[in-house]
Amino acid sequence: MKNKINYKIAVVALGILMSVGLMSCEDYLDRAPKGELTSGNFFQDELQATQAVNAIYSHLRNFNVHVFSYIGITDIASDDADKGSVPGDGGFLQDINDFTFDANNTAINGIWTGYFQGVFRANQVIENVPEIDMDEELKTRLIGEARFLRAYFYFFLVRTYGDLPLIERPLNPDEYKQPRVSKDLIYEFIEEDLSFAAANLPEKSEYPASELGRATSGAAKSFLAKVHLFQNEYQEALTLAQEVISSGEYELYPDYEEIFRKAGEHSSESIFEVSTVALEAGEGGSQFNEVQGIRGNPNNGWGFNGPSDDLMAAYEENDPRLVATIINEGDTLPSGEVVMPDPNMGDSARFSRKAWLPTRPPAGFGNSGANIRLFRYADLLLIAAEAANETGNPTLALEYLNRIRERARQRDESILPDVTVTAQGELRTAIYQERRVELAMEQHRYFDLVRQGRAQAVFAALGIAWIPGKHEVYPVPQSEIDISGGKINQNPGY
Amino acid sequence: MISFGTLNDTILRNKTKPNPISQMEKLLPEKENTWQLHKYLILPLLLFSLLFVQESFGQTSVPVQGTVLDSSGLPLPGVNVVIKGTANGTVTDLDGKYSLEVAEDAVLVFTFVGFETMEEPIGGRSTIDVTLEEELGDLDEFVVVGYGIQRKSDLTGAISSVKSEDINRLPVSDVTQSLQGRVSGVQIVQNSGAPGAGSTVRIRGVGTLNNSSPLFVVDGMLLDDIDFLNPNDVESMEVLKDASATAIYGSRGANGVIIVSTKQGSFDSETRITVDAYTGVQQVARKIDLVNARDFAQLANELEQNVGNQPLYNVSNFGEGTDWQDEIFRNAPINNVSLGASGGSAKSNFNLSVNYFDQKGVVKESEFERLTVRLNNQYKLSEAVTFGNNLSFIYFNQQNEPGVIANAYRAYPIFDPRQPDGSYTDTSPVGNPAAQLEYSSNNQTNSYRAVGNFFMDVKFLKNFTFRSNVGLDLTFQDSKTFTPVFFVSPTQLNPENSVNVSNFRNRNILWENTLNYTKEWENHRVNLLGGITTQDFYTESLGGARRNLPGEDPSLWYLNAGELTTQTNSNTAGDWAMLSYLFRANYTYKNKFLFTGTFRRDGSSRFGKENRYGNFPSVAIGYNLIEEAFLQDQSVLSNFKIRGSWGKIGNDKISFYEGRPVVTGNENAVFGVDENLIYGATLTRLANPFIKWEETVTSNIGFEFGFFDEKLTGEFDYYTRRTNDILVGVPIPAYVGSANNPIINAASVKNSGIDLTLNWRDQRGEFGYNFGIVASTVNNEVLDIGDGNEAIFGGAVGISGFLGSRTIVGQSIGHYYGYKTAGIFQNEADLSSIPKRGPEVAGDLIYQDSNGDGVVNNNDRVILGSPIPDLIFGFNVGFDYKGFDLRADFNGTYGNEIYNSKKQTRFNTYNFESTYLDRWTGAGTSNTEPRITNGGHNYEVSDRFVEDGSFIRLRNIQVGYSFPEVSLNKLKIQNFRIYLSGTNVITWTKYSGYTPEIGGGSVLGTGYDGGLYPLARTFNVGISASF
Repeated sequence: MKNKINYKIAVVALGILMSVGLMSCEDYLDRAPKGELTSGNFFQDELQATQAVNAIYSHLRNFNVHVFSYIGITDIASDDADKGSVPGDGGFLQDINDFTFDANNTAINGIWTGYFQGVFRANQVIENVPEIDMDEELKTRLIGEARFLRAYFYFFLVRTYGDLPLIERPLNPDEYKQPRVSKDLIYEFIEEDLSFAAANLPEKSEYPASELGRATSGAAKSFLAKVHLFQNEYQEALTLAQEVISSGEYELYPDYEEIFRKAGEHSSESIFEVSTVALEAGEGGSQFNEVQGIRGNPNNGWGFNGPSDDLMAAYEENDPRLVATIINEGDTLPSGEVVMPDPNMGDSARFSRKAWLPTRPPAGFGNSGANIRLFRYADLLLIAAEAANETGNPTLALEYLNRIRERARQRDESILPDVTVTAQGELRTAIYQERRVELAMEQHRYFDLVRQGRAQAVFAALGIAWIPGKHEVYPVPQSEIDISGGKINQNPGY
Repeated sequence: MISFGTLNDTILRNKTKPNPISQMEKLLPEKENTWQLHKYLILPLLLFSLLFVQESFGQTSVPVQGTVLDSSGLPLPGVNVVIKGTANGTVTDLDGKYSLEVAEDAVLVFTFVGFETMEEPIGGRSTIDVTLEEELGDLDEFVVVGYGIQRKSDLTGAISSVKSEDINRLPVSDVTQSLQGRVSGVQIVQNSGAPGAGSTVRIRGVGTLNNSSPLFVVDGMLLDDIDFLNPNDVESMEVLKDASATAIYGSRGANGVIIVSTKQGSFDSETRITVDAYTGVQQVARKIDLVNARDFAQLANELEQNVGNQPLYNVSNFGEGTDWQDEIFRNAPINNVSLGASGGSAKSNFNLSVNYFDQKGVVKESEFERLTVRLNNQYKLSEAVTFGNNLSFIYFNQQNEPGVIANAYRAYPIFDPRQPDGSYTDTSPVGNPAAQLEYSSNNQTNSYRAVGNFFMDVKFLKNFTFRSNVGLDLTFQDSKTFTPVFFVSPTQLNPENSVNVSNFRNRNILWENTLNYTKEWENHRVNLLGGITTQDFYTESLGGARRNLPGEDPSLWYLNAGELTTQTNSNTAGDWAMLSYLFRANYTYKNKFLFTGTFRRDGSSRFGKENRYGNFPSVAIGYNLIEEAFLQDQSVLSNFKIRGSWGKIGNDKISFYEGRPVVTGNENAVFGVDENLIYGATLTRLANPFIKWEETVTSNIGFEFGFFDEKLTGEFDYYTRRTNDILVGVPIPAYVGSANNPIINAASVKNSGIDLTLNWRDQRGEFGYNFGIVASTVNNEVLDIGDGNEAIFGGAVGISGFLGSRTIVGQSIGHYYGYKTAGIFQNEADLSSIPKRGPEVAGDLIYQDSNGDGVVNNNDRVILGSPIPDLIFGFNVGFDYKGFDLRADFNGTYGNEIYNSKKQTRFNTYNFESTYLDRWTGAGTSNTEPRITNGGHNYEVSDRFVEDGSFIRLRNIQVGYSFPEVSLNKLKIQNFRIYLSGTNVITWTKYSGYTPEIGGGSVLGTGYDGGLYPLARTFNVGISASF
């Protein structure tokens, strides 16, 4: 009996002891995520600093940044392209095309969200990398890249929405409600970032081959030139453009059509591109080509961003750039296939030749390895030409302009004669026209029309009511105004 | 008497007479001890009392003896024979005999579980024989509660109990489906009709904006699902609904608790073998009404013309065409065999069962097969120490259909599945479902799981019991998918074959130590419980994929057969842990006044250091009015109890590492001439390290009653539950740049309602019948959704991901929110006079200008309905006559709506439901169905897609015959029953889809029918026998 009692007591005591032992284990309830770092142990060394910058570049392949909404507000909105695809698909883009959109439109939301997320990633680097103990040269370069990308994101945002909240570092919770500052201040902010980048980034040729695709000093200067052009600061634009031209880093690529194929990736003409690769496992690519791909036979994608009748008619006779830009029904592709658009797309269904993929990527068209060209040397030459013309130097302007046409005619002297007109007004028109046909379907047209002050007239001719004083900018997303409790104000007219 | 028996010691009604001795063991494990000790005390007491006897005037003690029999004349051993007003007495032996020394004027009280108590004054007799009558009611039944069992009459909480004969009637794989329509306050929705699919369980409404699933406890092991259980193994299920019952589970109990007890062996009983088997066939209960080929051609032509294109088809070329639903559906068999053996000796008992379940799905290429083995043992090391285990091993094998249901809904009826040459037809723009069944259905999942617990009970110092329990849930699951090379059309092809292999393992370990103290004296019963428990969970998954295998034979479906250069792999893991302290006190006074208090302190690894622990108290009181003197001598009211409870419980079902500022990896960029993918990582979203428990405060008031000797019984409860600090993403402006909204504890939801249960049962000679009704109402209201949240939208539907559900303060969670249709624009006159959105033409829907501002836009959206029903109900009837039995169960909901999202999501021209035939084709042709278009104005979120989801369903009807015992005894069979059963026989509903039960989805956007696996109607025949 006594043994039994002892036994029982011993067992009970053991149980209690073990329980008590567990109680005192504070760390027992401390569990950390598996396979992931937390902010406490990140931004510690050179490798992590580089990874954080890489993550900003990664965001350039994001759907909201350079895919669907992007082609919507730059090409589809313009006279260069219609919505495309079948009726009913992507209805919000039809509203963009017709200028019947409101502040709830999906494209408006997508751009705002995507680009500000890019700013967030850039700010993480700009805020946290300076404190890391690492090689100073690399540190400066990394910060330069982050500032370049932040400026890129803000440049797109300011052209889309006008006034914006100015976010120069990650915000604390009590700072979440910000007002918009005037776009002039935003432009100043952009110029500061680009100037820093221009001064501290290597030139394209100074990067090792393994780093091809990173931001360069030439790219920073080119964008800075464009930024000045958009503010009608022609002299500054010209100066910067000429710096880039005389640096010898860039040259026009001889074959226009090939610029947009694999052979033309990161060519001599490339100032800045989003690098992609179509891995068989399905990573590294973007949907940029899928959304614009031929819908029907061959079935390459969704069929959006269809070149318009107006664009077809804009080309001069026998301009080889037309076939390099537009695919029509019945065209025969290099593979031998004849293009048959989805019958539901109706008549005059066309597709972007520049976004066309000759072969199916291994993991499908949704993971395309075709780079997204953001800034070509041709664009810079045209900026220089425009700036030169506006500052009263038509000869210089003509020199740059005719280099474009020379490349375009591809040694066929019977087409695309040089432009010779020197009167500022006529030369300006010629330069605008050249910009259109040279850069068609490359997501420049709408902002150009607005900048050039020609939007109202151009759209009126197409029967679209483009309202001056309102449509120069898109509306701020309604959800932002609601969430900020009215601290963010809406653009006039919306 | 409240007994802290082990959970294995519950007494439940079985069809056969319980073995009296083993029953006594189960009921009164301590009694033996008490009596043993009392043996030593009785002598001195008797001697002592002799003194009194001499002092008290003229009282002498006389010997009394007798036999106790039951109503059929058989002796009853184990009956308590107590001298009224004292604690002295004895117990009848194996022959039902007892003997005592009592005072002349003493009264003997005879009590035994399941029988009416009898009192006999000595009245000068020396032999008192007694016949005890069986009780019709179940008032002294024991109910399983958290960490123990309690006498039903002592309960202060709202607990509903379902017994095994009601559980294994349905031919289903998931035992929670047996609760449908049987328990008030509980809504069970099947997630899908697919074999092996689970269910969504809601107890008393949707308590939170996050995971609202209840906690499951199986033989003491805490789990998140019970779909592994063999229904034949379940002895009873208890649903704990209010704070008094669930607070003992503290942080896990906020959404209710379902306790499952599996069948145990009995001590000192003969080995009993049971066999249960059924076989049946399933068919699709209802198809969707789609148009035929000719009508499709007509409608498709109209669609083209409506957007300015030429018609595509020559309508007269087509007849009926293909019914794609017929191509993918089939009649499928369902089979189940269960063998069990149980029994025990004086020192040990066992229950062994094996079950095989095989269900092929009514959609081709889907199947679920399961094998379960269970072994429950108890072993008495000594009078004070008992060991035991409940172990189950489960293997299942599942194949999922290849996502073919949505395509069968959309595919054009003008196409034949195959061409004359045998190849599959190009059915663009929709994938060919028949081809999908061949090429995309190679998937297989195997799961191996062990669930169980080991426990040890130690009784000491008379009233104490210490119990240590270790619970385990170990799972290993592997899946494999193989996709061959195929070409059906440019949109339906696969140029490279591939194999995908993945597996995951879970390890879930629970350790509980509890100490229990019971004391009973005079009019008081006290039970105290204290304990410490801890749980540790770990999961890890591993996957790989390779392409370009050299062949397609199944012997090559392994990673090594594929190319190295394009391989991918993945590996993730997660874990959580909990540490808790619990305490409960139960007190009963004179069987009349009941009090329960519980307190639990929980710490969870899911929360940051600041807010790791939460405290969860509860109190409850009850009053057994029936025990009052003035209610003793009447035969109308046989039971009446009032009870009320209040408590605080918590919910920790959030993600394991919520709130941590995690660095997102694999934000990779491409650099270099060689186009290398270089690793990138950064912070992409904001975090909140101050996350804490969601807390539910709930009160319940109710009463239980019984009339006419428990012929009519029922329960009525009114409850309110208010959940605060619900974790919700509070939107911050997008310009802050975070990839998601930070999660904070900000929202508040209230649920209130009434639960009603009524049962009537009676026996007239050989004919017995019973009726039961359960009904619950739920009133769900959102009280707060966090600062800055005007509304939370959910339920992405349609082409551009329109959000169809909204959650705002003052309404229920996730109501549908969109335009109200108000007819159709018939002509130009309408278009210029009625407010519109803008792009409408004649034939388009009129959306109501609800705010009367002359324009139709987002501000005119109104509430269109709610997926939460106003009333959930069930009723069942049963008849017994001379061995025949008939049972029918109905269940249903009322007042809920369903969003038919598959009708709205049209990326291109698809097939049409027959309601489209009523479309507008000219002025005056229709005022409800607009002209045919794909997308655009007529496909906004509106009541066009919201349908009434109320339904009543004949869930199960069963006719059975039990062979009479007399004839069976010759064959040594104890009982044998054969039955026919129909399940989901008829459903009365207005909803047009496959089934009105739409489960799954987040609570913020639930009730969307995107094309579910259809419900199956099953007919089966089965036998059930025991030897």
